[in-house]
Amino acid sequence: MKHWILVFSVVFLSACATSVERVSADSTIDLSGAWNDTDSRLVAEEMIADVLSRPWIGDFSGRTGKRPAVIVGTVRNLSHEHINVQTFVADMERALVNSGRVDFVASRDDRGEIRDERIDQDLNASEGTRNAAGQELGADFMLKGQINTIIDAEGKEQVRYYQVDLTLISMADNRKVWLGQKKIKKYVKNAKLRY
Amino acid sequence: MSISRLALTLLCSALLLLQGCSSWQVNQAAAGLAVAGPQATLSRLEKINPSGRDRAQYLLNTGVLKLYLGDWSGSRKDLEEAKGIMSSMQAVSITENFAALTTNETLRTYDGTPTDQVLVHVMLALGYLMSGDLDGARVEMLQANITMKQESQDDSTLGQLASARFLSGVIYELNREWDDALISYRRAYQIMSDRREPIPEALQISLLNLTQRQGFDKEYKEFSNRFGREAELPGAGEGEWILVYLDGVVSSKTESRLSVYDGSVDTVVSVVMPRYLPSYYQPRALTLVAEKRQRSGIIENLETRAREDLEADHAKILAAATVRAVAKYKVVQEAQSKNDFSGVLMNIATVVSEQADVRSWNMLPASVQVARIKAPVQQPVQLAEKALTLPGLSEFSTRPLALVFATSLTDQTFAYPELPPPTPPVVPTTTSTTAAAEPELQAEATVETAQQGETDAH
Repeated sequence: MKHWILVFSVVFLSACATSVERVSADSTIDLSGAWNDTDSRLVAEEMIADVLSRPWIGDFSGRTGKRPAVIVGTVRNLSHEHINVQTFVADMERALVNSGRVDFVASRDDRGEIRDERIDQDLNASEGTRNAAGQELGADFMLKGQINTIIDAEGKEQVRYYQVDLTLISMADNRKVWLGQKKIKKYVKNAKLRY
Repeated sequence: MSISRLALTLLCSALLLLQGCSSWQVNQAAAGLAVAGPQATLSRLEKINPSGRDRAQYLLNTGVLKLYLGDWSGSRKDLEEAKGIMSSMQAVSITENFAALTTNETLRTYDGTPTDQVLVHVMLALGYLMSGDLDGARVEMLQANITMKQESQDDSTLGQLASARFLSGVIYELNREWDDALISYRRAYQIMSDRREPIPEALQISLLNLTQRQGFDKEYKEFSNRFGREAELPGAGEGEWILVYLDGVVSSKTESRLSVYDGSVDTVVSVVMPRYLPSYYQPRALTLVAEKRQRSGIIENLETRAREDLEADHAKILAAATVRAVAKYKVVQEAQSKNDFSGVLMNIATVVSEQADVRSWNMLPASVQVARIKAPVQQPVQLAEKALTLPGLSEFSTRPLALVFATSLTDQTFAYPELPPPTPPVVPTTTSTTAAAEPELQAEATVETAQQGETDAH
């Protein structure tokens, strides 16, 4: 009898211990049904693949003879969750830059920091290595968007619908040159019992 | 295990349970909040190490105290954690139910009343807004909407908060989402009408302004006739101020003993039930003064909400307490039949272990009040009872709408968009002045410094 108690105790205690398992950063693990890293990465990759496959790039290059310079503007979170939009924007920036098909302009915050550094260089860097002001690349297009959700809940069940809308706007004339949309739908069933 | 040993074990457990009861300490702190103020109460709470089952109640209280003090990130952290705990408690616990049915209700993890579950979003939204995160505040109000939908039952306003609907309306207005704002104000009005509560002027003006702005003429006329007033839409060069004022401190629960007859044992058993003492809360308003003046009106009487929540659970709690009392009665009878001493011990153990669940979010305000007025964007606006002057809208906002947040527990006042820092005092230069002029300059400087001090305190 004592042996059984011992075995039961070991099994019980091991079930309570924290365990850590390393997994691939690309793996999909859904715990709560909320927006997660996989959603952010997949939506960003698919939408950027779409924007890069549309005619606006060719039109612009044909007209100007250069690659378009793009900046990511505001992506608003209008969803039911506190989504970290920064990771989503970073995923999009990475996909855009790594495509090699567009030039990418640093964000407003990043530009401010770089300008401070340039002012510092003006004072302290040697003539040969100094970077002058007024040579920045102006963006040709701005990517803006929003994340919306519709949640339908009944008892322990929920349907979570996410819709990400992105718009690429020409800085020269405010033309919308691309509209992208990605939808995700999740069915979440919460536990009725707990220990 | 012999009966006497079982009784001793039960007795010791019950005593330990009572000693380690952090909720009792939290209730003591809540009782002194109005006098001690949020900072001293928070320091007192931070010395308590709550048990896992009391953690949500503890965090709700620390979170709201931090909100009163303007610690937005600290408040957000605590309230988000409390929200997570309450959400995870929706699944029924087998062990907690067993413990509650055999010992007492405090062995359940605190999961909040329907009012708590909505109000946590309201407090979080205020925190997000005051830290400048309008989208974050909007997220909270969308979550509050889902919570209220899940709580909604036929012919009941339980878990439906007019304050949450009103704040949603303000947040939608700040986002220029007029349709959604009007829907929220309508729902706030519906909840208050169903409860037969007086509609505060701020909600009346919101409904009139939005129905007129959106061109719902028929509805506008109905509201106008009902309230006996017209819309007060701001004209060119004018803006609007909305005040959210948290007044007082809500009551804490206490316990009382009831005698209930139970047919299964043909005897009267004694049960301990949570209850609220009668409320003697006297609301104090805060007045917004511009060209006109408006006293804040109650949009949510939390003294009433707390009692309604408990009343709704009364039958369930009483049934569980009766089952528990009968079970304990039978155990005592059995112990007495074997050994008188064991019977006595068991009797003490069952009495000591019986506790009512008096946990609640008891550092909430007693009422949420609102006011709404328009004023020229250049004109400073005053909070009369606090002797406080806020700078004109044009000095800190590009929007024609600002939200002011104040409580009766502190002199601090916050706003969205954030108020500008107070103007630094003019330091008089004495080098170029004559000796005769110096006393006048010093007197002026003293007045300026005193005025500045007043602004800082606000």
